[in-house]
Amino acid sequence: MARTLAMFTDTSLCIGCRACQVACKQWNELGMEVPEWTGTYQNHQHFTDKTFRLVRFIEEPKPTGDLAWLLMSDVCKHCAQAGCLDACPTGAIYRTEYGTVNISQDVCNGCRYCVSSCPFGVVAFNEGTGTATKCTFCNDRIHNGLGPACAKACPTESIQFGFRDDLVAKAQKRVETLKAMGFKDAQLYGADAKGFLGGLNAFFLLLSRPGTYNLPENPKLPQRNVVVDSLLSIGSALIVGLGALLAFRDRGKGRDDA
Amino acid sequence: MLKTPGWEMMIVWYFFLGGIAGGAYFTAAIADNFGGPRDRQVARVGYVLSLPLVMACGILLIADLGVPTRFLNMLRVLKFWDPMSLGAWAVGAFGMFSFVSSVLSFSTSARTDALRRKIGLVGVFFGFFLASYTGVLLSSSAQPFWSEARLMGALFLASGASTGMAAISLILFLTGASAGEGWGKVKKADRYSMVFELCVLAILLALLGSAAKPLTSGHFAPLFWGGLVGVGLIVPLLLDLVGHRVKTLAALSALLVLAGGFVLRYVVLMSIQS
Repeated sequence: MARTLAMFTDTSLCIGCRACQVACKQWNELGMEVPEWTGTYQNHQHFTDKTFRLVRFIEEPKPTGDLAWLLMSDVCKHCAQAGCLDACPTGAIYRTEYGTVNISQDVCNGCRYCVSSCPFGVVAFNEGTGTATKCTFCNDRIHNGLGPACAKACPTESIQFGFRDDLVAKAQKRVETLKAMGFKDAQLYGADAKGFLGGLNAFFLLLSRPGTYNLPENPKLPQRNVVVDSLLSIGSALIVGLGALLAFRDRGKGRDDA
Repeated sequence: MLKTPGWEMMIVWYFFLGGIAGGAYFTAAIADNFGGPRDRQVARVGYVLSLPLVMACGILLIADLGVPTRFLNMLRVLKFWDPMSLGAWAVGAFGMFSFVSSVLSFSTSARTDALRRKIGLVGVFFGFFLASYTGVLLSSSAQPFWSEARLMGALFLASGASTGMAAISLILFLTGASAGEGWGKVKKADRYSMVFELCVLAILLALLGSAAKPLTSGHFAPLFWGGLVGVGLIVPLLLDLVGHRVKTLAALSALLVLAGGFVLRYVVLMSIQS
C-alpha cells in the first residue's frame, strides 16, 4: 500500500468563499440544487448526491455577548474504520491503495445500508442512478498527481492535501501556534490514528468543540454492535424455543418413542 | 446530521413477512420433532406457510433495489460481520429448507418423516436467523434509536416467533383444523412468546432512554402504544385468557398479533425516517 493520502482542513483559515464547493461540483459534474433560506448563510444544508463538499457557517455565542463566526469546509472523512465500507453487502465500497474510501458505481446495488451506517451522514443515495455516492477525494485526479479539486481551488490553503503523516505533524504545530495566539479551544478532530474510527483521512482543525460544528464528539463504528446484538438474539431464540418446547412437549400421549 | 436510508413499505413488509416465515418454520420444526402425532397438522401448516412467505421476501428485496439484476451483486461476496450480506444468503438458504420441508410434510412413509424431522432441526437455525437478522442489521447502523439498545434482533425474533405462531393458528382455525390438540399448543407457545416480547420491549425502551423518543413521543407514539403494545400484545393476551375456550376469540387474538407484528416493523422503520 502506498503512503496514506489525507486532507487537512484548517478551519481557522477558511473565509467561507465556497470555491471548494464550486470546484467540487464542476470537476465531479454534479448537478445544481435549489438553495434554500434557512436563516443562515450556509447552503446547502446537507451532503446529497449532488453535494460532496459544503461549507458550514456556524454562529457561536461568545461570553462577551457577540457571535463568533465559525466556518468549516466539510467533506467525507474517509475513515480508517469506515462504517459504510463494512456495511456494504456487495463489496462496492472499497479502500484504495491510498487509504481513501470509494464507491464503485458499477457494483453498488442501491440497498442504501451504507447511507444509514455513516456516522457523519455523508453517503447519499442518487435516485437517478439508484446507487450511493459520495466524495472520492477526486479519485481520478489523485491517481494522476493532481490533488482533489477542492484543495486546488482553496485560495487560503485552508484545505491541504498530501501524505497523512506530514499533514498531521503540520496540523499539530498549527494548533500550538493558534493556542499561543489565544484560541484556547483550538483542537484537531480525527487526526489521531489511535482515536475514534482509527483516525479520519480527512481531519480538521477546529476552533471550538466538535459539537459546535454539529460533529459527533465520539463517533463509533456501527458494526461494533453486531456481536452483542447477535448473542442477545441467540439468547432470545433459546428462550422462545424453550417456550415452544414446553408447549409442544408430548407428555407420553400417543407417541411411543418419546 | 445523520442520514436515514429511506427504506419504505417494501422493507417493512419484508421485515414482517420474513419474521412470520422464520417463526412459522421454527414452530413447525419444534412441533414436528417434539410434539405428538396430533401436532402433525401444525408442522405441515408451518412448513408450507413459510415457503410462499420466503418467496415473497425474496421478491420484495429484489424489487426494492429498483434494478432487479443488481441483486446478483450481493452474491459476489459473503461478509461474516455484515448482517445484510449474510441475510441475502440466508434468505436463499432458508428458502431451500422451506421448500424441502414443505414437500416432505406431505410424505406418508416413516422414513421420509424421520428425514423431514432432521432437516427441520437444521432449518430451524435459518428460520431464527431470518427472523432476527433484520433487527441486528438495524442495530449495526449509525442511528441511535436502532442501535443503542442492541436488542433489536432479540425483539424482532420474539415478534417473528409470535407472529409465525399466530399465522399458523389462524390458518388452523380458518381451515377448520382447530379441533386438535395442536391448536391449543400453538396458542400456548404464542402466549409465551408474547410475554417474552413484552419483556424485551420494556428492556429495550429502558436501555434506549431518550433515544426511544421517535417511538414513545411524537406522532408515531399513538400507533406504538395503541397499535403495538395495546392491540398487538396486551389485548391478544387478555383475549386468550378471557376467551380461553372460545375459539373465535382466540382466532381474533391471533389476527391482532399479526397486526401488532406489522405495526412493530412499521414504527421501528418509519418513525425515524419521516
